[in-house]
Amino acid sequence: MAAGEVESGKNLSGLLNALAQDTFHGYPGITEELLRSQLYPEVPPEEFRSFLAKMRGILKSIASADMDFNQLEAFLTAQTKKQGGVTSDQAAVISKFWKSHKTKIRESLMNQSRWNSGLRGLSWRVDGKSQSRHSAQIHTPVAIIELELGKYGQESEFLCLEFDEVKVNQILKTLSEVEESINTLISQPN
Amino acid sequence: MEASSEPRLDAKSEVTNQLVDFQWKLGMAVSSDTCRSLKYPYVAVMLKVADHSGQVKTKCFEMTIPQFQPQLLATSSLLSASNFYRQFKEIAAVIETV
Repeated sequence: MAAGEVESGKNLSGLLNALAQDTFHGYPGITEELLRSQLYPEVPPEEFRSFLAKMRGILKSIASADMDFNQLEAFLTAQTKKQGGVTSDQAAVISKFWKSHKTKIRESLMNQSRWNSGLRGLSWRVDGKSQSRHSAQIHTPVAIIELELGKYGQESEFLCLEFDEVKVNQILKTLSEVEESINTLISQPN
Repeated sequence: MEASSEPRLDAKSEVTNQLVDFQWKLGMAVSSDTCRSLKYPYVAVMLKVADHSGQVKTKCFEMTIPQFQPQLLATSSLLSASNFYRQFKEIAAVIETV
């Protein structure tokens, strides 16, 4: 039996999920044989291989173009019309999958394309420093900030910084400039 | 990462550094080999930090706009709201009262 005939929507949904895990989210250990035996055991390996390749190709095309729903409709309709394409049932499953997983896949694609460290976390504490009676300064609050940074697929690096109040306000001013810049950018027509 | 209402810090690194310089740029990732339509803006930061011995190191990292300030983008999900800007505002508010 052909792969297109045996599968139910649930199998294809599972397959797309596994493909996304493998292709975008970097989940290890997802092999062709694993997928075939779990989801399409009646399909011969050769046939499954080309079916899998087709589905992976479709998913990659959709993700690469970051298709909106109009583009998706048009793309999938074209796929149903061509030789060796997909059935309209399969198209419906693919469409549903993209709509619910688009954001997460996009986020993975963004992370994969970032070769610098990304910001993974930020923690902070404010200490009130007190000096000894020999020092004139008795009250210097200090902020301690820990940045968690990390490159894609690598372990985090922690950077601990100390700021006095003056420095905090300097940074704040800089950050407001960043915000202004962002607002200018997003208010421009694409 | 969530910003909790109470500041908390169990520092993984006991060594604190002084910030010597903070440079930033706003970039736009357009396209890549794995994704032809990336289209996302990001904030790239370059920090110069000095440790106790005075040695200066450079640290670079990037943030997405939602990580910087979620409210700026209507389409932001809160998947990664480290919320860099807002947390600094909180720090400033707290340090003022100490």
